[in-house]
This record gives sequence, C-alpha cells and structure tokens, in this order.
Amino acid sequence: MLGYALRRILWSIPTLAATSLVLFFVTTLVPDGPPPQGTGAGVGGADRARAVEVRRSSFSELPRFVNRSPQDVRSRARAAVARVAAGDPGAPSDVLARAHQGTDELQRLGGAALPYVLPSLEALPPDARGRVAVALAPVAERMGLAAREDVAQPEAAALFWTRFWDDRSLDYARTAVDRTLTRLLNHGSDLREQDLVALDTFALPEVIHAMATTTDGQALARLTRIARHATGRGPVLATDATAAELRRAVADWREWWFVHATEFVVLDGARRIVAVVSETRYGKWLRRASSGQLGLSAIDGEPIEEKLRSHAPITLLVCGLALLVSWASAIPLGALGAWWRGGTFDVVSSAVVFLLYATPTFAVAELLRRVAGAFDLGGARVALAVAALAVGSLAATSRWQRAAMLDVVGQDFVRTARAKGVPGWRVLVVHALRNAIMPTLSIAALHIPALLGGALVVEEVFALPGIGFETVRAVEAHDSAWLMAVILAAAATVILSLVATDILHGALDPRVREVFASRHGRRA
Amino acid sequence: MNDEKVARDRDKDAVQDEVESDPPPSVIRASMKGARRAAAPYVTATRIALARLARSRAARFAAMVLAAVFVVAVLADVLASELPVLCRWRGAVYVLPCVTHPQALAGLDCQAMRRDSTGGDWLVPPLVSYGPTEKSADPAEALLPPFHGGHPFGTDALGRDVFARVVHGARTALELGLGASAALAAIGLVLGALAGFAGGTVDAIVTRLVESLTAIPTLVLVIVVCAVVPHPTTATMLWTIALTRWTDLSRLVRAEVLRALGTDYVTAARALGASPARVLRRHVLPNAIGPAIVAVAFGVASVVLTEAAVDFLRVGPPSTMASWGEALGEARSHASAWWLVAFPGAALLATLVALNVVGEAARDALDPNLRGVELWQGATGMASRMTRTSAR
Repeated sequence: MLGYALRRILWSIPTLAATSLVLFFVTTLVPDGPPPQGTGAGVGGADRARAVEVRRSSFSELPRFVNRSPQDVRSRARAAVARVAAGDPGAPSDVLARAHQGTDELQRLGGAALPYVLPSLEALPPDARGRVAVALAPVAERMGLAAREDVAQPEAAALFWTRFWDDRSLDYARTAVDRTLTRLLNHGSDLREQDLVALDTFALPEVIHAMATTTDGQALARLTRIARHATGRGPVLATDATAAELRRAVADWREWWFVHATEFVVLDGARRIVAVVSETRYGKWLRRASSGQLGLSAIDGEPIEEKLRSHAPITLLVCGLALLVSWASAIPLGALGAWWRGGTFDVVSSAVVFLLYATPTFAVAELLRRVAGAFDLGGARVALAVAALAVGSLAATSRWQRAAMLDVVGQDFVRTARAKGVPGWRVLVVHALRNAIMPTLSIAALHIPALLGGALVVEEVFALPGIGFETVRAVEAHDSAWLMAVILAAAATVILSLVATDILHGALDPRVREVFASRHGRRA
Repeated sequence: MNDEKVARDRDKDAVQDEVESDPPPSVIRASMKGARRAAAPYVTATRIALARLARSRAARFAAMVLAAVFVVAVLADVLASELPVLCRWRGAVYVLPCVTHPQALAGLDCQAMRRDSTGGDWLVPPLVSYGPTEKSADPAEALLPPFHGGHPFGTDALGRDVFARVVHGARTALELGLGASAALAAIGLVLGALAGFAGGTVDAIVTRLVESLTAIPTLVLVIVVCAVVPHPTTATMLWTIALTRWTDLSRLVRAEVLRALGTDYVTAARALGASPARVLRRHVLPNAIGPAIVAVAFGVASVVLTEAAVDFLRVGPPSTMASWGEALGEARSHASAWWLVAFPGAALLATLVALNVVGEAARDALDPNLRGVELWQGATGMASRMTRTSAR
C-alpha cells in the first residue's frame, strides 16, 4: 500500500513538470513593458527607468531555458570598468555614451563591485585608472568616507581608492559582514550601522536575509535604512511602524532582492553551474512557484502569497461545501434512479438532472440572487453561492452515480442477496450502494477544475471576497502577478487532489492498485 | 483479350472476378450499381448509428432547435440590421446592404432613409430594422418593454434592440463554438491517434500534456489569458480554448486506437502488407470518429458556455458584436427589466440543452454495447436480403 502511494506520487512528477511548462508558457504571454499609458511624447527618464525595472522584474532579458553566461556582480563590474576605461575624452560619441552607462552601472553596483574593481585598478593605464576612480567617487560619498571634492580629481581619487583597499579589504568578506550584522541586531548601535553603510551594497545579501528572519521593529527600521542608503530605493520603516507596514516593506525588499540578487552577489563554483539553469526565465518562474514567493500585487503592493492565503478560506469553504452538498443530493438521486430504472422517479430525476447539467452556473447563481434579492442577504450569500455551485457538480455526479449503480445492480451478488430474502432497502444500501459509491467519490477530483471555475462566477455574483472575486478585480486592474498566481494555485490544487483521491481510492480498493501497477509497471 | 486490364479490374473489385470474361466492363459496372441499389441500405456502422439517432425523438427535436439557431445565425443580418435588405437610394439600387455595408450608406439607418427619402427611393426593411450595436441617444428609447416602438423584444439600458442582440448573439456563439470545436477536434484527433499508434515516448509526452492541461480550469485560464495578452480578441479566446480543451477528445481517440490495434482485422490487414498509414486511415481512425463526434458535440456546448460566462463577468476581450452572456451580464443591474434576461437566457439555455441532447443521443447511438445487439438483429434481416440479391 505504501509502495502504491509512493509510486503514485512519483508518477505525478512528470505531470507536474509538464504543468509547470504549460503555466510558464502562459506567463510568457504577459507583455514585457507596463501597459502603455498615454502616447510616446512625454516619456521622461523616470518612465524609462520604470520600464527597465518592469522588464527586469519579468526577467524578459534572461534566456528562456539555458543561460550559457550567467551574469553576476563580477562580470558586470568588469564590463563596466572596461567601458569607463575606454572613455577617453577624445573617443567617438558612442564609446563615450557607453562609458557614461558604465559610470552609472558602477555607481549602482556600489560596494559589492569593489572587491573585483579595486585590486585590478593598478593594472590600468594612469588616465583610465583616474577615470574609473572618479566614476566610483559617488560610492565613496555614499559610504560616508570621502567628501565630493576629495575624490573629484583623477589622481586624488585613484590615491583614495588604493589606500581604501589597503585599509579595508579585510572588511570585504562574508564572515565579517555576518559578524557586524549579528552585533547590530543584538546591540543595535549606531556605530555598527555606520560600519554596514560603509560596506554599501556588499552587505545586502545578509541585510535582506536578516529582514526576513527578524520581527523586531527597531532592527527592521535600521535594516531598511541601510538597504535604502545603498540602493537609493525602497521603503524605509519608522521605528513605530504597524505590523502591516512592516510586512509590506519586508515583502517589497525581498521581492526586489529576488529580482536583483545576481547584481550584488558573485556566482562561484557550484552556484555558477546551477545558475546556467536557474538564471533563466523558467528557472526564476520555477523558483517563484516552488518557494511560494509569488511577487507583489499591482493593486495594493501586498505580497501575492499573503493575499492568496487570506482569500483562500472563502473559496475553499464554498467549493468544499458545494462538493459535500452535491454528493449528499446526487448519490441518493443517482442510486435511486438506477434502482428504479425506467420508473417515474428515474425519468423525472434524469430529465431534471439533464436540464441542470446544461444550465450554466452563472445562470443558476444569478437566478438565485434575484429570487433571494428581495430579502436582506447576510451570511445567506454563502449558502446561496454553495447551492448555485453545487447544482453544476450535482448533475454530473448523479449521472456517474446512476451509471455506476446500474453496473452493480445487474451483478449476481445483488440477485443472490434478493433471493436470500434480504429486505430491499438493505440490498440497495449495503450490497449495491457500498460497491457503487467508490467510483463516484473518486471522480470528485475531476470536478475540481469546474468547481474552481464556478467558484469564480458565484463569488462575483454574490460578492463574496474569495479568490475568484479578487481575480475579477485583478483583471480590471491588469494585475498579472495575481493572475499568474491564481492559475498556478488552481493547477496545484487540482493535481494535489487528484493524487490524494487516487491514493485514498487505492487504499480502499485493491483493484485500483492492481490497475495502476499493470498500467505503469510495463514502462518502468 | 486485354489481360492486363482485366487483372487491374480484378484488383479493384473482387466481385468482378465472377463475371470476368463475357460482358464489357461498363455493363458489369451498371449491374453492380443495380445490385447495390437493391441491397441498400447495406449495414454499416454509420448507417446504424444514424438510424438510431433519427429514432430518438429528443434528438430530432434538439437537432431542429440547433438547425433553427444555425439559420438565425446565418441570416442574422437579414433578421435585424440598421440597413435595409434591398433599397434604392439617391438613384442607385443596393442589394443586401445590411450584409455588405456599402460606403455610400455609411451612417444611415432605415429610419433616416425613410425620413429623408426623395422621389424614386424605396427600401425593403429587415424583419427588425435595428442593428445589434446601434445605441439610441434618446433616453425614452432605453429599457423599452417588448413590442414598443418597433422593438419586438424591447431595448436595453443603452437603447439597443434586444432582438437584434439575441439574433447576432447566436452568430457569435456559433462562430466561436464551431470554430473552437473544429480546431480542438483536429488537434485531439491527430494527437490522440499519434499517441495511440506511435506509443512509447510520444505517448508518454501526449499523456503528460493531457494530464497537465486537464488540471487547469478552462474558465480561469481563458480569463487570465484574455487579461494578460496585450490586445485580446475573440480569436484569443478561441485559440485558448482550442489549444487546451482537446484533451478529452484525444484521450477517447487514443483509447479507441489502442482497442482497434488489438483487433483481428488490423492484424489481418498488417499480415496482408498494409502500410501503417493505411491501417491508420482505413481500419483504425474510422472507429475513432464516433467518440470524436460525441466529444465535439459536448465541446461546442462547453465552448458556448465558457464564452457566455466570460462575457457575463465582463472579463473577456472587448467585444464588438453582441453576445448572450454579455446581454445577461448587463441585465444584472436592471432587475425589473425581465425581457433583458428572458430572451438571451432562453436562447442560451435552448442552445446548450439542445447541444447536450444531441451529444447524449450520439453517444447512445454509437455505444458499441448497445450497437452490438442492434447490429446482430439488423444484420440477420439484412443478410437474408443480400443473399437473395446475389443469388438472383
């Protein structure tokens, strides 16, 4: 039995892989840029920067499946230095433009790039060295180590950075950062904060990680201050921030780090090999999907996974109750219909069920809402939503139940039971239904996609704030992060419930295990 | 005589061997035709299924409903349009301007043409002379009950004619339903047959794909795709449905192909040296057509339903045409105007029920368990007739 369960779970892995590819394909349909607002005339630098940020956060610059040369802080820093070094004042304008970009890039990379820039500074020709040193000047200023006029001249700047590296190269080690950060979290002194500010972006991995593990408001305020100082972006927390503000700010930083981490860390050894697959659009998507860090909502900036969690109970309640209600009514309907095959009850119930089967859920829901609309709806909305949703799966379930029951009723043991003089109800319930009920229960998982789709409709009709209701709002607001998360959640729910019902069915019925073994043993 | 030709004829039709030498081929062919006509209807699975289908009263009625919907959809422009069916305007005669929408009549409608007509101008109006998207600026024209102001089904909140919207909604529903079903039938047939016939890796890939697509709720997927694609159209919806809903059909076709491959007649055909392509085409696929027809009938129903639900929630592509679901969605904010719900709702429900009845009847008609009995009963009667004709 355990073997069957394990094998069933193993066999769901290829399905999961295929599903992930299908869902990933859907995410590639999302356009790269933000939806165009107004026409091109007044596109300023801020807009362009936002467009770049959106492109980066959708990873559309990365290759789809294999990244032959994953970029990290070292490769970026070297490329930027090369550009700046080539920016001789007499060079052609495109080279100068690229040197300018290199300057911006060095400034953005900040402290994290220094271990890869400064040691090689000596090897550059004097004027190139001066240019790079001046390009790094804003970083020194940010760290609070030099005033602008001290590093404005090439010679002075080059001298400053040489001395800087002689003095401080020992601080640029992960263990050193870790130690400083631990002290900051334990004692919370301004001096330690200064130390971390002086490390600039080099301290970011530890700082962001600490944000996720700390709940202390004071410490978070310091951490966000350090991160903002180094990157010039993102929310800063006041020391008296509310819990919701804390959560949102941390989510914002974690999301930013998810997108930008490779700009500040170096990929070495095994991590470089992993990056060939992980630094791709599919790799990023898969990491999002498996870690449950699904991005931020475009509507209110809340992390998607939190929103899903807070809206899921209503949807699950409605779907679960609808499933139970539909079973409770469909099983007797189908069983009795088959028992009195061809009788009035069978004919009438079959006709009604057939009509319900063809009726769209939204029509049933709307009808119920109108009929009940005269009264004040409070908690009754949930009941009506459940009823509307149950109708759809009731029809399908009772047809299954009827067919399964017809199979069983024709079998010998039922006739034997009758011949022995077992009362009719006992034959029906104990002999026939017990054997006919399993197929019905086991196909419940196949109803779940339809139930989830139906939940979306009934939640909208009855204004229940579940996942479906939020999805319609997300469509109106073009919140693609939420939409992607919703299909992911729906598909995951369906696959998990399929596997669960299969295992349950196998546990109760040895024939299922045999069929599974014969079907999959052949290939294994 | 002409040995080569005779040999060829023999290959073509084995029956000709019996009367090989004497009469010329044309006579033989004529007599074969006669024999066939005398023997008709000879037993084929299709004929049995059709006969069973025709015997079901519900299926006949449902087929008539569907035919009516189809005719309405085809003739939508003649039934309801702002332009006349036939007219003479400013000296030129226009035939079916309601379909062709000629440039010269742009911006005009029947009312304006009647009002401004000069000598010699005339027009034959359509059944209802309002188009599905023609709004009325006059607030007195909004929410008219049925049979007021030339609107047999009344008007909606924007002053649009409900009859025109119902009639054109049939076209939208059928276009999408038939289009998506045709596409998904093609995909499902090909992939199902391929998976069953090729087996191995191909089978494994198709099966995994089927499983993963089944796990994604159609309605949610359609809504999400239409929301994230830059410029969604009805075609986006059509392809989303077609590319994800072929799974049921392909599973049925695959099962049928696997079953057929195990039969004696396929083994016999292979032993005779038939190529795989021929086995697939002549012996395997014809068996898979039955389930395919059933799946397509239900497929059309589910596509129509999905489209209606998406338009009802107003989360689909911005529609330029009328749709039943959209009409029902608009009716939500006008609870007292019953005609906004009744007519599009009745049209939608009738179409869905009819499609399901036809699908159901087709499934019963093609059910091999039931068919076996019928085939045997029918065949005994038919066989005696055939022996009689051949003995003649």
